[in-house]
Amino acid sequence: MLELRLAYRNILRQKRRSLLTGISMAGGFALCTFSFCLLEGGWGNAVDIFTLDHTGHIQIHSNDYHRRPKIHKTIGERESIEQILTNHQEITAFAPRVYAPALAYANNQTRAVRVVGVDWKLEPTTSRLRQKVHAGDYLDNAMTSDGYAKAMIGAGVANTLDIGIGDELVLISQGADGSIANDIVMITALVGTRTSWDKMNVYLPLPAAQSFLSMGNRVHEYALQVADSNANEVVARSLQTEINHINPAITVSTWQVVEESFYRTMQSDKQGNYFTMVLIVFLVFIGVLNTVLMSILERTREFGVIRAIGSRPIAIIRLIFLETIILATLSIAAGVVIVTPALYWLLTTGFTLPTPIEFGGVTFDHLTGRLSLFVLTVPALLIYVFAALVSILPGIRAARITPQQAMASH
Amino acid sequence: MDNIIVTREVCRYFGSKDTQVKALDHASIEIQRGEFTAIIGPSGSGKTTLLQLIGGLDNPSSGQVLLDGTNIADMTGTTLSDFRRDHIGFIFQAYNLIPVLSAEENIEYIMLLQGIPAAQRKGRVHEMLRLVDLDGLGDRRPSQLSGGQQQRVAVARAMASQPDIILADEPTANLDSKTGVALLDLMRTLNEEHNMTFVFSTHDEKIMERARRLIHLQDGRVDSDQLK
Repeated sequence: MLELRLAYRNILRQKRRSLLTGISMAGGFALCTFSFCLLEGGWGNAVDIFTLDHTGHIQIHSNDYHRRPKIHKTIGERESIEQILTNHQEITAFAPRVYAPALAYANNQTRAVRVVGVDWKLEPTTSRLRQKVHAGDYLDNAMTSDGYAKAMIGAGVANTLDIGIGDELVLISQGADGSIANDIVMITALVGTRTSWDKMNVYLPLPAAQSFLSMGNRVHEYALQVADSNANEVVARSLQTEINHINPAITVSTWQVVEESFYRTMQSDKQGNYFTMVLIVFLVFIGVLNTVLMSILERTREFGVIRAIGSRPIAIIRLIFLETIILATLSIAAGVVIVTPALYWLLTTGFTLPTPIEFGGVTFDHLTGRLSLFVLTVPALLIYVFAALVSILPGIRAARITPQQAMASH
Repeated sequence: MDNIIVTREVCRYFGSKDTQVKALDHASIEIQRGEFTAIIGPSGSGKTTLLQLIGGLDNPSSGQVLLDGTNIADMTGTTLSDFRRDHIGFIFQAYNLIPVLSAEENIEYIMLLQGIPAAQRKGRVHEMLRLVDLDGLGDRRPSQLSGGQQQRVAVARAMASQPDIILADEPTANLDSKTGVALLDLMRTLNEEHNMTFVFSTHDEKIMERARRLIHLQDGRVDSDQLK
C-alpha cells in the first residue's frame, strides 16, 4: 500500500503536467473505444443484414457447391440432416433451398434469371424474404386457380420484362437429370428493389422448384441461423462432425467461408482501422514517455537517496511502472466518463448517412455502434500495454542512477 | 577488539593521469562497535568520500573496506543494495526525505524495502518517532517540518532498519548551531542507549566537541586519530 501511495502522490506532484498527460491518454482511450464501437456496429450491421437477408450464419451444401455451384450437387439425406438441425440447441432456424439459372420469358422478351426454390414456411424464420415483399402476397405451396405455381420476382425481372402481379412467366432451364426444364408460373409478389442483390431472382415454392428442375426431394442448400452469431464457427464444426456420420461429402460452412470476399474486405477494413487506432495511441504515448522521462530527471536526487538506503533497481523500476499504470487507470476512468454519453448516442441514435451506401448488395443508410467484449476491453488493454512499455525505459534509467550521481546532481 | 569498520590503505582517485585527483590516499581507520566518531577536516579533505566508501555508495580505487569483517569493496548490484539496506543507515546533509511521504511513511519506507510486515512496521515507526521526540508529528510532510525536525526524521529513518552502523555526512550543516547541537545530543543519546555505531563528518567546532573520537583527514590522508 505504501508503494502505491508513493506512486500515486508522485503523480500528483506536478498536477498540471499529469492532468495534461492524463487528458491525452483519456482522449486516446475515448477515441479508440468510440471508433471500435462504430466499426463493430457498422460491420456488425452489415453482417446482420448479410446473414439475415439471405446467407444465414451457416450453410450446408454438397461438396464444394458454395464455390462451384452445379445443379447436380445436391443434398439427398434431408430427413436425417433436418433431424440434426432440429435437435441442435444452438440452431434457431434453418431453411432448405434450391437454385438454378434459367431463362425467363414474357412479353416477347427473355432475360437470364436465377430461380430460387424456398420452403415458404421455413424461409421467413431464416431470412427476411417475407419482409422484402413490397407488392402482392408472400408465397405458399398452393397452386393458382389456373393451376400454376406461384412465383415472386425481383424488381429487376419485373422491370426488364415489364411484368407484374398476375402476369404469367415462362421459365426455361436444365433439369438435374439433364432434361430440359420448362414451366409457366404466375407472379404473385414483387420482392426487393432495383438495386438489391436479388433483383434478378425468381422465387418459387420449394416443391414447385424441385419439380421444375427434376430434383425429387433433394435441395442445394440449407441456410441456418444460430443463437450466438459469434459462435457460428464452433457450431459449424460440431455440425460437420455430426453430419459426417450421415454423408462425409456434405460440407458445413460459415458465412465467412461462403461470402469469403466480403469477409476479407471486412477484415481488411477492420485491421486498417485498428492499425490507425494503435498508431494514434502510440503517438499519444510518445508524449507520455516524454512526461515520465521529465519526471525521472526531476527526481534524480530522490532516486539516488532511495538507492542509497538500499532499494534494489527493480524496486525503482516497479515504482515508475506503478506510477504510469496508476496514471493510465485514472485516464481510463476519465475516458470512460467522456466516452459513455458518446457511446450511448452512438448505440441509440447513430449516424444517418446523407447518401445510402451499397456494398456487396447490402445498402447502408444508417450507422449505429455496437458493444462487445472487444470494444469494452481492447482500448483499455491498449492503454495499459503502452503505459507498461513506456515505463520500461524511464524505469531502467531511474534504476541506473547511482547514489553518487544523484548527490552530485543537486 | 570488536572492529565493525576497518579501512585498509583505501585510495579513491578521480580522473586520470594529469587531471587525477586523490580524494583518499591510503587511508586506514578502525572503528569499534558502539563508537561515536566524527571525521573532521577542511573541505576537500576526503570526509564525504570516506563516508561514501564505508557506506558502499562508492568503490575504492584500491584497498579494502571491511564492515563487520565483510569486504564491501568487491560487492556490486543487488548484493551491495541489500547490504546497505540491512547494515547501514544514512543521514544526509540535506535531509533527503521523500517529499510526498509523511514523516511516518518516510521512516516506514526503508522497512518496506526490507520486507518487514505492515503491522511490525507501524509499531517500529511509532517507536522511532518517540525516540527522536517527534510524537504527534508523524503525519506531517517534510515541507511541514522545520529543518531540525526533518533531520530527526532522517535519524529515525536511518535507525528504523536497525542497522549496525549509522553514517551521517555533515548532518548539522543545514541547521542553526543550537538545533545542530541538539541533534548531535540526540544522536549521542541513541548511541549510548542502543549501542549503535555512529560515524559522522563535520567541520563545525561545536559539533566536534560532542564526538568521543575525532579522526582528522588532511588531503585524503588520516592526519590524526584522537580518542577523547
